[in-house]
Amino acid sequence: MRARVALVAAGALLIGYAVAGALTDPELAPAGVLVFLAGVLVGHDVVWMAGVLTVGALLARFVPRRHRPVVRAGVIGAAALTVVALPLVLGFGRPPDDPSVLPLPYGRNLAVVLLLVAAATAVACLPVELRHRRRGAGRGGAGARPRAADEGPPGRVDPP
Amino acid sequence: MVRHPRPPVSGRPAVPRRPARRWSAPAPDRFPSPLRSTRLTSQLGVALGVAFAVCFLTGLLSHLIQHPPGWFRWPARPVGLYRFTQGLHVATGLATVPLLGAKLWSVYHHLFRWPPVRSVAHAVERASVGVLVAAALFEVVGGVLNVARWYAPMPFFFTAGHYRVAWLVVGALLVHVGVQLPAVRAALARPGVGSPQERLSRRGLLAGVAAAAGLITLTTVGQTVRPLSGLAVLAPRRPDVGPQGLPVNRTARRAGVDVGDPAYRLVVDGPGGRVALDLAALYALPQHTAELPIACVEGWSATGRWTGVRLRDLVALVGADPGRASVRVESLEAAGRYRASTVGSAHVGDPATLIALRLGGEPLHPDHGYPARLIAPNRPGVLQTKWVGRIVVREAR
Repeated sequence: MRARVALVAAGALLIGYAVAGALTDPELAPAGVLVFLAGVLVGHDVVWMAGVLTVGALLARFVPRRHRPVVRAGVIGAAALTVVALPLVLGFGRPPDDPSVLPLPYGRNLAVVLLLVAAATAVACLPVELRHRRRGAGRGGAGARPRAADEGPPGRVDPP
Repeated sequence: MVRHPRPPVSGRPAVPRRPARRWSAPAPDRFPSPLRSTRLTSQLGVALGVAFAVCFLTGLLSHLIQHPPGWFRWPARPVGLYRFTQGLHVATGLATVPLLGAKLWSVYHHLFRWPPVRSVAHAVERASVGVLVAAALFEVVGGVLNVARWYAPMPFFFTAGHYRVAWLVVGALLVHVGVQLPAVRAALARPGVGSPQERLSRRGLLAGVAAAAGLITLTTVGQTVRPLSGLAVLAPRRPDVGPQGLPVNRTARRAGVDVGDPAYRLVVDGPGGRVALDLAALYALPQHTAELPIACVEGWSATGRWTGVRLRDLVALVGADPGRASVRVESLEAAGRYRASTVGSAHVGDPATLIALRLGGEPLHPDHGYPARLIAPNRPGVLQTKWVGRIVVREAR
């Protein structure tokens, strides 16, 4: 408990130091910092998360359970790469007189990397799919009962 | 960063009791993913804590080097130390993107807890989490925009804002760890929570986040790790792209410098008087060559072969002791945040610290600082003053 109190107290002190520093820094406009803080918070919690939850719902709806972990990993990779690369693709930071800044065709490069991620995801799904089909065939085809881990209910049962 | 950990699932899950509500915001139990758990959040939180610690320490170091307080001494050796720490700062920050995304996703449902506030202490705790989330996003998103040099969305001076808000992140993070410590400890102490399927999924998600971080690193880190530059297809810079095979941050045109002025003189002021050297006089002084990197605060770096006059020779020329002198190097630029820089005695005395006249055997390109520029080991690029017009030597008391 003492450690927790010390952590919270030290944290509160550092927050105070940050705020005092920002308010007294002659190079900083605190209003601009507040606007950007609020902007990234709302942008993430409202706009970005709406997109993430939509994609998650689509995955749950259209991707068979056996492929979800791999597809999920692929989507996480694709989304993270896109976030990092989007400012480069848009290229608003490229000055007209300095060709050494953002020198690459980032739109094309991002597309190629995303295609590779998609291909790797598909390849990683392949053995799971083959195993699934072999099992299905071994059990007598269409009438066979699906494997619990593949098609069963999620591990955690939501309260009624 | 566990916003509000779910109590451990043991036996029958507890049914959350909620008062009737008039509005229909999504309740935490409307987020059906079985992947979310206190354990996942704790694991992501520990990884994110390590990443933030690396970014904070390397960033603080960079700040101290650029704005040294009286007690701070930064050595000239090893030559590539700043290149390493700042490359690590940016690479870690970029790799944090999927980590922070996954962490915030894993606790997002707690945003809709009802009632939103149970007590004053609870309100303060939630507010501190809000500060932490906003500040963490501020640093990571701001950093991504900065390396892409896209400043328009940030209505403040980036460097100062990035530095001040870093303290905010650390403060809010300590508060958060203090509040959540028991929940994190409990979650990490029980390896076997959840069904085998859940454990597998959780590991899969962690592997996905790690793979995403690895992929970002692989496609960007070549901007400072030369052997990987061929893979750096999403890096804002290539170490070999630019005039004379070296990137440029500020062009002569943007700096408003007239580099062709035949009346150019390098003025050296010191305790023993003043000398004014034209280009021929500079070339007549003993020339030395050093392989030194330009290591930018934006995380890229590139090595050049620089030739010119040792700064300590110029210091001796005006009657000062290079071992005890500090030097202010001023650019021909009329204005600008980085128009002058101070070189401490450790760097002044180093034989590799040059007022360079040549790069790769050729006279400097105007964008690399023609007619003369400072180049010193183990120093941020913004302090490697270009278009040097005046050097003021002070002897330490």
